[in-house]
This record gives sequence, structure tokens and C-alpha cells, in this order.
Amino acid sequence: MAQFFSKSANNIARISMLAGVVLAGTAFFVYTQVARSSYLTGRYVERQQPVQFSHKHHVGDDGIDCRYCHTTVETTASAGMPSTQTCMNCHSQIWADSPYLEPVRASFRDNRPIEWERVHDLPEFAYFNHSIHVAKGVGCSTCHGQIDNMPSVFQENTLQMEWCLACHREPEKFIRPKSEIYNMQWQDGDLSAAERVDLKAKNKIRSKEMMTSCSVCHR
Amino acid sequence: MFLSSRQWTVDSGRRRKSLYCLLSVAVCLLAAGCGVRFDMQDQPRYKVYKKSEFFSDGLSSRDLPAGTVARGLLKADKALYTGKIDNPNPNVQVETTTNAAGNTIVTSFPNAIDEFPVAVTKELIDRGQDRYNIYCIVCHGPVGAGDGMIVRRGFGAPPTYHDDRLRNAPVGHFFDVITNGWGKMNGYAASISAADRWAIVAYIRALQLSQNPDENLKMNASPSAAPSPGPAANNNTGGGGN
Repeated sequence: MAQFFSKSANNIARISMLAGVVLAGTAFFVYTQVARSSYLTGRYVERQQPVQFSHKHHVGDDGIDCRYCHTTVETTASAGMPSTQTCMNCHSQIWADSPYLEPVRASFRDNRPIEWERVHDLPEFAYFNHSIHVAKGVGCSTCHGQIDNMPSVFQENTLQMEWCLACHREPEKFIRPKSEIYNMQWQDGDLSAAERVDLKAKNKIRSKEMMTSCSVCHR
Repeated sequence: MFLSSRQWTVDSGRRRKSLYCLLSVAVCLLAAGCGVRFDMQDQPRYKVYKKSEFFSDGLSSRDLPAGTVARGLLKADKALYTGKIDNPNPNVQVETTTNAAGNTIVTSFPNAIDEFPVAVTKELIDRGQDRYNIYCIVCHGPVGAGDGMIVRRGFGAPPTYHDDRLRNAPVGHFFDVITNGWGKMNGYAASISAADRWAIVAYIRALQLSQNPDENLKMNASPSAAPSPGPAANNNTGGGGN
């Protein structure tokens, strides 16, 4: 009876088994990387807004505090978007004739809000509250990045669950003193590890078990 | 296909495995066919600033109907919410004058209250400093000299807090200006709560004291709550999250 398989078939079988494992591993790796990519998370993608508003200018150059516009960040879930009136506090006088600001003036004239493009679009099955994060020592730039360097704002982080959990598991790695929450220049190294652990206790941040309980975010 | 393990045979095992394979393929095909669904991601409810398809103006957050007052938000205390009292002498009117820059400045304050309607404490002044450094510092500058960054960018300079007129102005006047604006300045009532506006007024008094330390300032607070000059360090209390 003729040989059905040649002798090399043994090697091919071994190699193909190995190749199968490598291929499956690669496929899994690619899958996880695609899931974390800015293609799916929108990370680093600058959004086109109806007004060419520059945080780099208003925060970086002018030194306006975050809360001048985002007035409710300390008290409510939403940080708050400024009303057109807030823009007009200055732009009734400065750059009052600029064509760039025509959408702002039109909004003010017609009493219609400016329709900003949402940059951080958290899934609605996740509960998020700005005020508790600010109160417990999470600074703006910890999540939003160096807003004072962004001419047009983009999402600095993935906003994926693993990213949320990284901090909910070990908040002492990310928190800062309450006086530095709105400081865009704050670096994580400005506080020693021991000071952070003290700060965690001082700010009454709950245990890892409580912080990673499902219903903290999915309620 | 709900066979328990007691019924396990080679045949049923094979049947289950092939069914599982088929099921896996079917699930994959189904998922590919339906596409990814976002029903939970985008739920049919209004989150803050979501556009409404129902109301013609597109606003999901609605204004209160005219004439309604939310429970607990009746602003009956006129002095606390306006910084003014009913004119004690109707014949006395607000006097204004025009300064060199063409700005109308007020020189008499017949309606403004001259005493804080809240207790002036260290906490209040600290809170005022915190709020001042957010909302006021942009134009009025760190000590209220009217040299803030926005003024340096071309906004008309506001008057300094440290001239005789404003040193002698009653606290109710400052509250009224923060609330309703004055001249080129818009009112800040939408951004700053009434309690915080009084805190800012207290801090303005502290700033005035800091620039004229010998002056007997018109704080009119109870003796236990004598104001101290605002600490130089940026001692933000952070406001906390309520």
C-alpha cells in the first residue's frame, strides 16, 4: 500500500500545530489592541467644534481657572458647560468683532445654545460624577490631560473600564491635595508615595473592595 | 439539550460538542449579521446637555414655568439675596458721576445694606478668596487693583478697590455688582451662589484692609469675627464636593 503521507508530513504537522498557537495568540493580541485603539475609543482624536475655542489660549495663556466656565464641577455630576453669557463676559469687549466668534454672538442674539461636540462620551450604563472625584483628590489633568496645551480638546484616555479600575484599585497612585486639583502643571511625582497613602486616608477614600464594587459605577 | 451528566454517553457527548460548535458559528454569524448594538450605550433618556428631539428649541433642560419657585429656593430675604433694603428715604436717589475714562461710577448707595447678612468668619473669607481667585481675579487682579489678565488683553480696566469711594462703599453695593453687573461687567449670579457672593464681598474687604492696614474698615461684623488680611499663600479650601 502506497504511503498516504510523505515523511515530511510529520514536520508539517508539528509546525502547523505551533503556527496555530502563534496565530491564535497573535489574533488575540491584535483583538485586544484594536479594542484599545483610538479607532474604537476616540482617544487623541480632536473634535471639530462649532467655535474654534482654544483651551490652550484661555487656560494656558490667560490663566483662567477651570471653574470660571465649568462652574458645577464641585457640586454636581456634570462639570457644566458655560452659558453663552459666560463667553460674553469678556467677548462683549474683547474680540467683539472677530468673525471667529460670530457663532457665539449669534447664540447670544438668538438665545440658542451653542451645540458643542461632546468629547468625552461615557456609555450611559456607567455612572460618573465629577464632584466626588474632585472632592476626593482627583485632579482635572489626571483624566483630561494637559488641557492647557490643547488648542482643540481631545480625549486623553481610553475611558475604558480597565482605565477606570486602574485608579479605583489604587487611588493612592493618582490623587493630589485638594489645593492642586485645578493645577494643570501638577505631576504625580510632586507627592511621595507615603504622602499619598496619608492623603487617601485623609480624604476618606474607601477600601479597594468598595471602590471596585460593580454598583459603584453600574447603578 | 439539557442532559445531565448521568446521561452522558459517547454519542451524546459528541452530539453536544457538535451542537456547541454549531452554536458558536451561529452566534458569530448572528453577531456579524446584526452589527454591534448600542442600546445600553445610548439609552433613551436625557443625560445632561443631550439634545431633545421633542422640544422645538432642542433643549432637554427646561426652564421653570414663570412664577414658580422650587421648594426651599424662595428668596424672601431681600438683604441676603440682593444686598439691598427698601429705600429708607424715598427722596434720596443713587448719585453717579462720570470719570475720566468715561465710565459711570456710583457715588452714593442709599439702598445698599452696610452690614453683612451672614456671619463673617475665617472660613467665609477663605471661601471668598477661593471664589475670588476663580471669577474675579481675571479682571480685578490678585489684590483688586483692576489689573487682571483680561484687562491686560484689552478689556476696559475696572476701578481699583482701594480708592476712598469703594473703601467707603457699603457691602451691599459689592454684592449688587457681583449679582447684577455694573458697566462693562456682567452679573455673575448664574455662576456664583448668593452665599459665595457674600464670601467674595468679605474677601474684598480683607483685600482692602491688606492694602490699607491702618484703616478702620467698615466690616461691621460681630467682634468675634474680626477679619484678618487674606493669607498670601494660595490656601484653597477647594470648596469640597457637596
